[in-house]
Amino acid sequence: MNRAALTIALALIASVSAEKVQTPVPIGVALAQTSNTALLGQEQVIGARLAEKHINAHGGIGGTPIKLVFQDAAGDENSAINAFQNLITKSNVVGIVGPTLSQQAFAADPIAERARVPVLGPSNTAKGIPQIGDYVARVSAPIAVVAPNAVRQAMKLDPKIKKAAVLYAQNDAFSVSETEAFQKAAKDQGISVATVQKFQTTDTDFTTQVTAVLNADVDLVILSGLAADGGNLVKQLRQLGYKGLIVGGNGLNTSNIFPVCQKYCDGVIIAQAYSPAQPSAANQLFVKEYRAQYKKDPPQFAAQAYAGVQVMTDALRVLDRKKKLAQWDLDELRAALNKQILAGKYNTPLGELRFDKEGEILQKDFYVAQIRMKDAKTGTFVFLK
Amino acid sequence: MGDFLGQYGFLIVTMVQAGLLGLSLYFPLQAGQLSLASPGFYAVGGYVAAILLTNPAFAGWRDALGNGMFPLTWLAAALICGVLGLIVGVPALRLRGIYLALATIAFIEILRVISLNLSITGGAIGIFGIPQAFGFQDRWQYIWLFGPLLILTLLFARQLERSRVGRAFRAIREDELAADAMGVPPTHYKVLAFVIGAVLAGLVGAMSAPFLNTWNAKQGTFDASIAILAFVLIGGSRNIWGPVVGGALLTAVPELLRFLADWRLVINGLVLVVASLYLPQGIVGALGGVRRPPPPRRPPSVPVVVEAPGGGS
Repeated sequence: MNRAALTIALALIASVSAEKVQTPVPIGVALAQTSNTALLGQEQVIGARLAEKHINAHGGIGGTPIKLVFQDAAGDENSAINAFQNLITKSNVVGIVGPTLSQQAFAADPIAERARVPVLGPSNTAKGIPQIGDYVARVSAPIAVVAPNAVRQAMKLDPKIKKAAVLYAQNDAFSVSETEAFQKAAKDQGISVATVQKFQTTDTDFTTQVTAVLNADVDLVILSGLAADGGNLVKQLRQLGYKGLIVGGNGLNTSNIFPVCQKYCDGVIIAQAYSPAQPSAANQLFVKEYRAQYKKDPPQFAAQAYAGVQVMTDALRVLDRKKKLAQWDLDELRAALNKQILAGKYNTPLGELRFDKEGEILQKDFYVAQIRMKDAKTGTFVFLK
Repeated sequence: MGDFLGQYGFLIVTMVQAGLLGLSLYFPLQAGQLSLASPGFYAVGGYVAAILLTNPAFAGWRDALGNGMFPLTWLAAALICGVLGLIVGVPALRLRGIYLALATIAFIEILRVISLNLSITGGAIGIFGIPQAFGFQDRWQYIWLFGPLLILTLLFARQLERSRVGRAFRAIREDELAADAMGVPPTHYKVLAFVIGAVLAGLVGAMSAPFLNTWNAKQGTFDASIAILAFVLIGGSRNIWGPVVGGALLTAVPELLRFLADWRLVINGLVLVVASLYLPQGIVGALGGVRRPPPPRRPPSVPVVVEAPGGGS
């Protein structure tokens, strides 16, 4: 019974998958459009949409337009798996950009891996993502690469730094990985870590942590958290009299932090995987289009999602030159696309990108910025050389 | 068919899984205990399975047992959750009603913070790369695990209701003091109901870890308790089919309405509000009410005419 059902199902799946590639070429996008992760997901959706608009306005893939198929992956594992299943079996996408969180990637990427559909993670930064399988790659640089730059920059601004306090949001996967990288970077720079304090992304009162930092008498604070909690922590550190430098992690790399810590944000050094100041033509075009529509600088999440869609399309273009996309079998194209993604070199808003053979991103440029507040509500990230 | 299973297979299994989690809350509720601890035990069960299936310390066991490792994880999860349920249940069940609910929420929070801080549970990232049970390739195949578990649980629940223990549960639910006076030891049966729920939630967790490919602290949160409580309340808390129907429905609605994009959450909210307003007995309760004749009512009070002695005024 069990085996018979399995055989029938497999036969049916096999018969279904001899399908041709649809036009316009469907590319799946599974990001957090709802839930508490939507704050990040919405920025990514904007980035992906801009990429689609830009690509189709410039002739698509050799004349064939692309079509992004959006499925809400929310903030939980179940929704991410459901979104992936929908994209793979119902929408017959050639590849998927998503999901938003690393934990979701650990749940949903194996689904794509088994179905042999290439996945590009736009914001999955945890260790072990590209190692999920052959079909999984990411355009988001792992934190271990991004974080040390900011600490190095702090040393440049104040070479006398001896002691640091490290704070991180213990319920946020990103911050936990990032703090390890930060602590290692600090030690490599000869800075001793005087105290390590934990908090939760949902906390609003940080008196305990701030008191511990002040008692440790440090001249550098390294902070890994998200916009709301990180911003409040910066504010309370300054209010209670901390004078030294503050280094913020990648989670603070968003203008959403300005209304939270207001004038106290000033001077915070931020590690960035993306900077609007990146001089390449691809980025300046993206920044221009983003500014025209949203009247502000594009955030990192939008740029990474844009890059994800762009990488997939660039790889498809190469395949299209070999044989028109509409003539490929879907399965065949998915496999070829996966190989092509890893083989290519891309000029994206993030700068020049390549992938290693596991699917890990090799990003050329990283950035460090310092926040400068104009008034209580508006500020800018000033790119530090 | 293959297409259908590919697309909805995962959803169908999650519907069954939600029903099982609803049932794990239903057992304590049968004895009148409003416990929200199910997601805690679910998370523990998942962690036990995930650790046994991925931790290098158990590599020898995995090699020796092969697929036998999976039943072992279920057994281990059930055992650990049972013992944990006993340890938590004995003190917590001295509380009643809303206070018990609060204590169980505290229990979930404690578990969550512990799992975030231990290295064996992988901290905030959790455990990933969990091997697939019996080499299952597609998500729908997990119905071969969750389906039988659901049937067994329903059979167990039916037998339990008819047994002496089930009657004791109901007696305590209706009036704890009276039950105690009749010689039913309330603590004993309340802890028993709690432990049954804990073991079931742990089992579901252990089966879910390979099903989800990964396990992390987000699995057992306060949000999950409220969701599971909603399964039971919307489905109906006085019938074994209630949690099953409620869990399946509330899991399916947002997924089947995917084509509505953001509106699907609005519809989901409407279902919750309408069901709780107009079906206070839950969906199954309301359906049962249709079929069954209305309960006998007290006869309308007829004014008793008392003949005055002497024949009137």
